[in-house]
Amino acid sequence: MRFIAYIFALLAGMALSFEGAIYGELGENIGKLETSFYNFIVGAIILGLLWLFFGKGNLSYAVKAPKWSLLGGVLGVVYLTAIVISIPFVGVGITMVAVILGQLIMSMVIEHFGWLGTNKVKINREKVLAVISMMIALILVN
Amino acid sequence: MGIIMILFTIIGGITLSAQSAINGSFSRRAGTIETTFLTFITGSMLLALIILFFGQGNIFAIFDAPLWQLSAVFLGVIFLLFNVFAVTKIGVIATSITVIIGQLVISVVIDHFGWFNSLIIPLDTKRWFALLFMLIALYFIFKGNKRSVVESKQQK
Repeated sequence: MRFIAYIFALLAGMALSFEGAIYGELGENIGKLETSFYNFIVGAIILGLLWLFFGKGNLSYAVKAPKWSLLGGVLGVVYLTAIVISIPFVGVGITMVAVILGQLIMSMVIEHFGWLGTNKVKINREKVLAVISMMIALILVN
Repeated sequence: MGIIMILFTIIGGITLSAQSAINGSFSRRAGTIETTFLTFITGSMLLALIILFFGQGNIFAIFDAPLWQLSAVFLGVIFLLFNVFAVTKIGVIATSITVIIGQLVISVVIDHFGWFNSLIIPLDTKRWFALLFMLIALYFIFKGNKRSVVESKQQK
């Protein structure tokens, strides 16, 4: 089961890069914010259908859940708008390295402090070295 | 302009990880499809407001846009759905690392061939070295992650 999760995460990453490149194009056509809006509204329709037919969970938990756990959509808007604006200027490669740098730093900080309901995992030497290597990569790609 | 764009995009990456963590927590109680649905619904609501006040493009041009550009929405759905699923199984950092491998490979390939009318940026020696450093980074983070797991188990 864990193996499948890794494959899914890998496919998710590939989808993310393709999505960024294609939306960079659409953003030039219809506007950046409009592109983000298109993604979220049509995504909501697709998921609405999926949920109707395959949803086994508990959507009404949204009413009882702590309010911070409802912020995923807001954060997604920041991410998507940022890449749609950035890709036409600097290319998909640099945009993704910058995104990755942000991801690496943030996921370490989150797990170090056990924020946002994650299990607490301390930062160590290897992880700091990893961020330094990513910074070198960012300079080289540029 | 380029530097500002890069900083802006780093913030995009930061929000992406925060989103993974938050959605992971929420989906343990509400389910994968439900979490993804809610993410798209709340995102749409927020953007509807932003566009009303600040939108300068033309949302109705969507009907004239080529279909291949519109099909990216399925990729967006796949990303969120798979991401929410993976975080609950293997945690935020392991998910991030694996997502990153997929991102890197595809994004350098897209730049190299200039697919989707993006800037053509060939895979030169500098970029090969960049890829090498990314691999080193991934190795360190994987190793560091494994060590933290072992240490936290010893403490228990």
